[in-house]
Amino acid sequence: MKINVRLKPGDHSPLSKIKKGTRAKVIKINTVDKALRRRLLDMGITEGVQVKIKKIAPLGDPIDIELRGYELCLRKADLEMIEVEVIS
Amino acid sequence: MRIALVGNQNSGKTTLFNLLTGTNQKVGNWPGVTIERKVGIIRNTDFEIIDLPGIYSLSPYSLEENISRRFLFEEHIDLILNIIDATSIERSLYLTTQLLELKIPVIIALNMMDIADKRGIKFDLATLEKRLDTTILPISALKKTNVFNLIQTIKQGDYRRNLYQHIYDHDLEEAISKLEPIVDTKHSRFLAIKMIEKDILFENYRSDSVDFIVDEIEKKYFRDMEQIIADERYRYIEYVRDEAVEAKKDLMTITDRLDNIFLNRYLAIPIFMVVMFAIYYLAAGPVGGWTVDMVGMGVGYVSEWMTVFLGNVGASAWSISLVVDGMIAGIGAILNFLPQLIILFLLISLLETTGYMARIAFFLDRIFQKVGLSGKSLIPFIVGSGCSVPAIMSARTINDETEKKMTIMLTPFIPCSAKLPIVTLFAGYFFGDRSGMVAASLYFLAIIIILTSAYVMKNILFKGKTSSFILELPEYKLPSFKYILFDVASKAWAFILHAGSVILIASVIIWFFLSFNFRMTYGVAIDESMLAWFGRLISWIFYPMLGEMSWAASISAIQGLVAKEQVVGSLAIIAGYSSDISEGRLIFNSGIFGFFTASSAYAFMVFNLFSAPCFGAIGAMRQELGTTKRMWKAVLFQTGLAWILAVLVFQIGRLIEVIL
Repeated sequence: MKINVRLKPGDHSPLSKIKKGTRAKVIKINTVDKALRRRLLDMGITEGVQVKIKKIAPLGDPIDIELRGYELCLRKADLEMIEVEVIS
Repeated sequence: MRIALVGNQNSGKTTLFNLLTGTNQKVGNWPGVTIERKVGIIRNTDFEIIDLPGIYSLSPYSLEENISRRFLFEEHIDLILNIIDATSIERSLYLTTQLLELKIPVIIALNMMDIADKRGIKFDLATLEKRLDTTILPISALKKTNVFNLIQTIKQGDYRRNLYQHIYDHDLEEAISKLEPIVDTKHSRFLAIKMIEKDILFENYRSDSVDFIVDEIEKKYFRDMEQIIADERYRYIEYVRDEAVEAKKDLMTITDRLDNIFLNRYLAIPIFMVVMFAIYYLAAGPVGGWTVDMVGMGVGYVSEWMTVFLGNVGASAWSISLVVDGMIAGIGAILNFLPQLIILFLLISLLETTGYMARIAFFLDRIFQKVGLSGKSLIPFIVGSGCSVPAIMSARTINDETEKKMTIMLTPFIPCSAKLPIVTLFAGYFFGDRSGMVAASLYFLAIIIILTSAYVMKNILFKGKTSSFILELPEYKLPSFKYILFDVASKAWAFILHAGSVILIASVIIWFFLSFNFRMTYGVAIDESMLAWFGRLISWIFYPMLGEMSWAASISAIQGLVAKEQVVGSLAIIAGYSSDISEGRLIFNSGIFGFFTASSAYAFMVFNLFSAPCFGAIGAMRQELGTTKRMWKAVLFQTGLAWILAVLVFQIGRLIEVIL
């Protein structure tokens, strides 16, 4: 999957669609699965937190994000549920 | 005094536990939920310390978190020792905010201070202590700094009691203080928050008056309350962090540099393959094989010496046979694999402690995800090449229930080290120069079977379920050799105790049934023994894969339930040799096993590799799957599949043999 749209600061996007090295702010978590939602919250993905796409697995999925001073790997399908605002 | 040791995964909990307790440890089971927990006594005190599983939260959704919180909630605990990682303070304090609500005194051990110092993270400890109203001690478990002070503090009892804590916004705090007297127990604040979160496991504390207050607060926020609580906790933590922690931003760490290589798009897979090959070469391949031969020789000498010795002191023929063919042969069968297992445990411990194991799970997740497994399934599969028992237990780290169950059911398909002698014996004799290829083909078959079974299960049994993958990439660390030695030694010892007792008993039983007939006469011809009679009862099951009604092969395969290496031992005993002689020439030239052909040999290997694992592994499956019913399902599935595969292999193989 190639991403063709260039995202500018201020744009909204699912976290799965932004490029390596990009910083973003979490706007909303759209998961319906309560357990997953709680797990994401527990790991510090709360509204307003800053995240950065740090590493992408050699096969394109999962993706490693940096937040709150540590790194967390999530699958694209789960990142899809997290809406962010691009910072830089 | 009872102390609970609580902390995130990878926070150095085990290292600290070992440091605090020295050798005063025992592993026990907490009644109710069968899960291993370690208990120890802190050095020079009589304080009991309990090592709980590594957790991030006290949420109701994961097994480990549930166990921990039930333990903290129901058992009497005098003190919580909360170990936190100084390099990721925010996430660590999230758990702390929950622990503080239990109204049990909490001491924080701020671990990995050495790494935090190097990275220029500075703490204002006085402020941090004041904000959390908790005693905080900076330590480094790995470098052993300040651990003595920690023990002193616990001993003298001069720590803050965290009596007051006000972290949420005004409305929430008000609701909590209204709820507290209603749910009144010793953990009232904790319960009040659970009521607001509508925690499913505390349903029985609900009442009309509770619901009234909860409804009211929900109307005020009009959002998911679990999320509000989590947001508020992190908001408070950010406030504390801004006041008390100073960190440099955006450092290119050594971990980042190493990941540029190990997770590189082109290099990652080749590096992984080299690592796997090295593990195979050292543990299962030539080096491991050499250690097996060495121990085998030693056991041979001991049994020879024992035969002579017992003969000299005038022991009867049957008692010599009991000691040599029954006991020594049985114990020898376990000892044979011990060096190999130690090598494997050592390598796996290295993979785990350095942080590379997490990387493997990370970059292979994509492949496993396609068939409904997790990248974390790979850890049990790798460990399973040594022994299925620890492998099945290591499946605990998989968050998703479906993926976890599937991984547990599929792990025994990986040829464990005890299955190797079967492969060595049959492939060596029937395939000669190509035995290496045949052995490799079995591993390959195992991988294909695992992936296809997973795919089928996902699409039939667990259809439509989505799963997620959450993994923390730890920093690369130089392993502590002391810790690794300790880890390997305890695993090896557990193996000896567990397998040793079971195999010793089984060996003696087999020896008894083989040496006596139903009239209890000793020294009867083998095909008149009780064992032969049992074998004849079941030999029809094996007919379609052997092309022969062989009681001897059938009874040998059944013995795989006790321990897979017993299969070879049994073949050797029945063929008329002591069990540590596993030379194909001798076994397959004896009349009793003369019927084996290349295709039935391959089929027999396939059956033994894929059928129900040994009792040890079945027990582990029972424990990790949770119910006996699920265990039976798994065992039947494995054995059924093994039978079908073996029959297919034999029938197709025979056709090919006829055509050629």
